[in-house]
Amino acid sequence: MVNRETMAQYLAIFVLLALGIVFGAASLVASALLAPRKQPSAAKLAPYECGIIPSREPPQRFPVRFYLIAMIFIIFDIEIVFLYPFAVILHQLRTFGLVEVLVFAAVVLVAFLYLVSNGALSWGPPKRLVEGMGSRTSETTIERVGAGASSSDRAA
Amino acid sequence: MNPSQVNVIGMDLVAAVHKTGPDIATFVVSAIIIIAGAIGVVFSRNPVHAALSLVMTLFGVAVLFIEQQADFLAAVQIIVYAGAIVVLFLFVIMFLGVDRRENIAAEPLHWQRPLALVLMAAALAGVIALGVGSHWATGQQAVAGSTTAGGHSNVYLLGKSVFTTYLYAFEATAALLVIAVVGAVVLARRPSLPSVEPETDARGAAVSGQPGPDGGLHDAAPRGSAAQDASPADVRAGQSLVKEAGR
Amino acid sequence: MSFLGFLDGLGGPHVRDGVIHLVVVLASVHALAAVTAIHVPHIRYLAILPEIVMLGGAVLLLGVASLSDRPVRMSVTTVGTVVISGASMGLAWWQWADVRQHGPFTTVAGAVVTDGFSALIAILASTAMLLTALVGDGYLRREGVEGPEFHVLAMVSASGAMIMGQANDLIVIFLGLEIMSIALYVLAALNPRRATSGEAALKYFVLGSFSSAIFVYGIALTYGATGGTNLAHLTSYLSTHALSSNGVLLAGMGLLLVGFGFKVAAVPFHMWTPDVYQGAPSPVTGFMAAIAKAGGFAALLRVFVSSFGTLRPDWRPIVYVIAIVTLVVGAGLAVVQRDVKRMLAYSSINHAGFVLLGLQAADARGVSAALYYVFTYSFMVIGSFAVVTLLGRSGDVGHDIAGYRALARRQPVLALAFAVLLLAQAGVPFTTGFLAKLQVVAAVVDAHSAPLGFVAMGSAAIAAFFYLRVAVLMYTPRRPRWVPPGREIVFDPIVGPQASTAAREGSGVSGQAEPEIAPGGSLDGGTAEGAVATVPRTLAELRLWSGSERTVAVVERLNADLLIDREAEAVEDGAGGRRVRVPPAAIVAIGICIAVTVVFGIVPGPLVDFTHHSTLLLLR
Repeated sequence: MVNRETMAQYLAIFVLLALGIVFGAASLVASALLAPRKQPSAAKLAPYECGIIPSREPPQRFPVRFYLIAMIFIIFDIEIVFLYPFAVILHQLRTFGLVEVLVFAAVVLVAFLYLVSNGALSWGPPKRLVEGMGSRTSETTIERVGAGASSSDRAA
Repeated sequence: MNPSQVNVIGMDLVAAVHKTGPDIATFVVSAIIIIAGAIGVVFSRNPVHAALSLVMTLFGVAVLFIEQQADFLAAVQIIVYAGAIVVLFLFVIMFLGVDRRENIAAEPLHWQRPLALVLMAAALAGVIALGVGSHWATGQQAVAGSTTAGGHSNVYLLGKSVFTTYLYAFEATAALLVIAVVGAVVLARRPSLPSVEPETDARGAAVSGQPGPDGGLHDAAPRGSAAQDASPADVRAGQSLVKEAGR
Repeated sequence: MSFLGFLDGLGGPHVRDGVIHLVVVLASVHALAAVTAIHVPHIRYLAILPEIVMLGGAVLLLGVASLSDRPVRMSVTTVGTVVISGASMGLAWWQWADVRQHGPFTTVAGAVVTDGFSALIAILASTAMLLTALVGDGYLRREGVEGPEFHVLAMVSASGAMIMGQANDLIVIFLGLEIMSIALYVLAALNPRRATSGEAALKYFVLGSFSSAIFVYGIALTYGATGGTNLAHLTSYLSTHALSSNGVLLAGMGLLLVGFGFKVAAVPFHMWTPDVYQGAPSPVTGFMAAIAKAGGFAALLRVFVSSFGTLRPDWRPIVYVIAIVTLVVGAGLAVVQRDVKRMLAYSSINHAGFVLLGLQAADARGVSAALYYVFTYSFMVIGSFAVVTLLGRSGDVGHDIAGYRALARRQPVLALAFAVLLLAQAGVPFTTGFLAKLQVVAAVVDAHSAPLGFVAMGSAAIAAFFYLRVAVLMYTPRRPRWVPPGREIVFDPIVGPQASTAAREGSGVSGQAEPEIAPGGSLDGGTAEGAVATVPRTLAELRLWSGSERTVAVVERLNADLLIDREAEAVEDGAGGRRVRVPPAAIVAIGICIAVTVVFGIVPGPLVDFTHHSTLLLLR
């Protein structure tokens, strides 16, 4: 016979477990429901080269931005690692500990602000392409493609 | 052998032998998880599956850490290794192309497998010899002490050290993280002015990437102005002049 | 049965209690009196104020730059950095005054020590930061590097050096080392226009990471042997326990020495230095040379002389050998360099050897001499690289030594400044460089290592050669232009061949007034401005122009010589072929460097006293 009080401590774990299972199942169901059914054809998957089937592998380019995201992930991961022992002795450290960690977090937060302001966390193509250009629509894109030479001159 | 001598690394290895049913059961289950994961890493054809098997192995190791009352190590194992490092692996795998098949049968160094076998055997023998026979004495008592000194968990003790004795180092770590972030952004940034060395233009572009539909526009600005720039290295100017004169 | 407990609890009052408990914990950490509090360390803020100001300033600058709508102007960043470094320097002087009055003390659980030594390093680091901000301003504008990153990283790096100076714990030293180094790795790569900049950063990073790992291993072994990382603990433990032949401790000490040796560029660990110094942006190179040496030697001296003091017989011979090799290799390889930055890199290795003499002496006098050396060298090297920065063209290229020929004609003030700084580095009397070398050699001779002193003086003689060579070159007129024997035609690599009437009548074949580069116009041949007649550039044009086959033949015959000569001249024009615009901020920085170097060379008293007292106030 196990004490009810003792077992109640495991409640949180049980809830987390249930949440985990629900989330995993929901993801599977959602992707099954929402994903496009039709498999793309081989021609569609091939790199676009003016309709000619490419004879060799296209050169690989690795956008540095993705590495940046991974690096930043690790950096903030390290911050989290420090929070674990802090959480354990939170009570014993009293206000002093809270101030310590707040200072630490504030400094790292500035790094985060820097990241956001630099657009290091924004995905997709850069928003402002050319000075003075409005928001990107299909019209402007066509305009840009059509006036490729002149716009590059302007940029120069 | 006296169990207290093995305490140096914070895990009571010998004491584990004397533990009872649930402990052994936990060990056996996590050992199976670890080994199954390790086999998965080696034998998976799909690199993503291999990386996920690695998560499994790391998770099993984390369970073992908890079994040895090394709670903090277990948490770090999950947060940093299973969380961050494997995600980094996955990033790289995705970049290189999940569906790219390497010909594993072709070995560039045909002696590496026997060598790996020999080294593995030597390392294993060394670990067993050190674990069983040796007292690697330094003239010092073990300073780590028991994992639960004074009735506190080792996370408590660790936290106490970090937030009192090593408080200054802890706060300095914040500065370290800031420059890591700034450094990552600075290194990933593309130049606003043209490169000095013409041949590095292509290389720099390849490194900084970000092709995108507007790549041409961005590239056009520096290259266009390079010709008008009044300050190309005069070394180059001189040399081209020399070549012309030599014709 | 147990599951019933779970399920009961799921809907029962436990959830509600749990939530309430969580809220209580988050809301009032302080109010929970039931738990026993951990004794928190006492902090005396005076001890860490310079670091707080420097680091806080860097973070503030970063935050402001991130939050403002438009990019922060370079002038704002520079002024901010100068103010922050100035404040940090003032606080460090306050520390110095306090320490002189009340004596040294430790704080933050003994991890930080404030004594004369740490105050001196803090003053040095903040001054170096101030000067670098002044030098960097013009450079960043010229190179089109935007954003506050240069200043932020440099300030963080400087605070890393300060932390190393005041660290009283091996772990804090390591943190300081990493903060300083990682910021320097990124700074080395700051100029994206140069591939060499990135290459330098990568080399520095890879080798630096290795050395950091070795350093950590050294800390671990030292900890294993002594049971602590605190330097006070180390000192007391080693003085009460006879561990002189303990393998683990000796290995730990050796690995620490390797780690430090890398940072200060002592010779077996110097491989990164020339490439990094050459590739990094020039103001960064000067900063790096000053800061890395200051921080590295500060921690090295404190750990070895103070904590490993009882192990002197073990480490002094090692330092002896390292010092000799560093002196000889640094001086020897500097002689054969063609690039000024590379030459200064090897010369900085040579200087590291001199500072190591002070460590080898391992007494108060040696430490004082080493501190004096590091302090004065910082000004010389920042000043030198400031001049190199100015003379480098856009893109930070053209640092060939040949380009410094006849610099005195074009830019007499700059040439004079560079000459003074080089002579000071060579150790010419009436400069601080002379006193620095004198003191370390005297200290090492006093400590019964006279042969080391002789080697040092020998290397100083070699070093004098390569410093003087540049200094003399700057005052040497241009080499005569090539004149074909048939008709006098002066080939100028910039404006093309000239009818040489003017040249002959003007200043003969040498030292002619420099034609200004007119971009575009001058390079497309044929036209040269002003008094110089229209002249041909290619042989075909020459034939048309002169109408004489004989001239063409002569020219063709001498083509080989011509090629060589022209290449040399083209190189000469690399660094200072034209007058460079000198920004006022850089003038101030170079002026301060020269003032310190010369004034304290002529009136040595204050600075010698300063370093001497710093050493006496070293907390043991």
